[in-house]
Amino acid sequence: MATNKEMTGGAAGATVIGPTITINGKLSGDEDLTVRGRVEGEVTLTKTLFLEVSGVVKANVSVKNAVISGVVVGNVRATESVELTKEGRMVGDIAAPRVILVDGASFRGRIEMGDASVSRAAGDRVGRPARVSARPSAPPRPPPPPRAEARGMANSKSTVTPILSKMESKSPPVPPALAAGKRKVVVRKRER
Amino acid sequence: MMEREAEHMANTVIGSSIVIDGEISGEEDLVVQGTVKGKISLKESLFVEGSGIVEADIQTQNVEVAGKVTGNINASQKVELKSDCRVVGDIRAPRILIADGASFKGNVDMDAKGR
Amino acid sequence: MAQSEQVGIIGKGIVIKGNLTGGGDLVIEGRVEGQIALKNHLTIESTGNVQADIEADELTINGEASGNIDASSKVAINASAKVAGDIKAPRVVIEDGAVFNGSIEMEVKLPEDV
Repeated sequence: MATNKEMTGGAAGATVIGPTITINGKLSGDEDLTVRGRVEGEVTLTKTLFLEVSGVVKANVSVKNAVISGVVVGNVRATESVELTKEGRMVGDIAAPRVILVDGASFRGRIEMGDASVSRAAGDRVGRPARVSARPSAPPRPPPPPRAEARGMANSKSTVTPILSKMESKSPPVPPALAAGKRKVVVRKRER
Repeated sequence: MMEREAEHMANTVIGSSIVIDGEISGEEDLVVQGTVKGKISLKESLFVEGSGIVEADIQTQNVEVAGKVTGNINASQKVELKSDCRVVGDIRAPRILIADGASFKGNVDMDAKGR
Repeated sequence: MAQSEQVGIIGKGIVIKGNLTGGGDLVIEGRVEGQIALKNHLTIESTGNVQADIEADELTINGEASGNIDASSKVAINASAKVAGDIKAPRVVIEDGAVFNGSIEMEVKLPEDV
């Protein structure tokens, strides 16, 4: 029997939720997701969420990238970027190193980019990236599924991981000397 | 013979790496290549492809299963179990087609008229 | 007419601590701490550093800004900007590369069934 879309992991996976579909529950996966209908609950992807103009997501979202042209009510965390296009509307908090709001987008909530060292070299002013607080709706986010964690996050930029995985006890990259504001150079022998 | 598994003309496709734990409802065709646990309720057709795993009660117009379904199926028109599928659960539909090679365990009720 | 031609510039080496108010446009290349209330357009250039609550008609930020922002038309946070604070404006634009931490309050029209 001819197998279907299991060809290649990345390319073939093109999950589309059509405009009359409503999903109520938890959705997770390792491929891009295009939503034209309605998803309520939780969305966890290791790839990109494309929310089209007709789409509504009432959920906490945890993805690599998100391109929002529809309506989101909920918090969005991304390891790479979140873009609200000019039709995008969102109420909720965004935590991502890159956030783009195109002229025409509407947004109400918090944005935490931390020090966004993904797009910039220095800038340790903020030190530890802030945790998202004051959620407008939705219960606290449970930790992301282990397989998504292990695969993608292990070698991602270290300043971003504290946002996504409080489970991983990686210490923040800011050496105490710098954060204290004093110019002090501490030379220590490090063992490799 | 029409190989309908490669690409059904559906707008909604749940890809092979997707896992959904919850309820799906809608008014269009749905192709499942991934995993769905919970409940599926459609006004059109459900296609569970070879890689699809559905642990849910299903209520649709038509159902075509080439993958795995565990749950009760209630169709207003037709249920088709293709070869290599594995279905455990009760089926209620006016028309049922079970292909040679399909694996099925459950009750069949073809008396469901006028749903 | 005279108002739109008035552009105040706070040069790179200047530090102002206090309240700034005015009716013309203002370009900040230096440092301002305190409060700013303008009727027109405020531009914070890439060398500018503003630690103040800002009220203006329109705001273009290319540098650093920290404080609450209340704009009546638009706030543009450009690629070289670093902004922290709460923003209230009908239009807010964040360019790729900008760094922003804080809250944004725009009017969001949600469909009825959401």
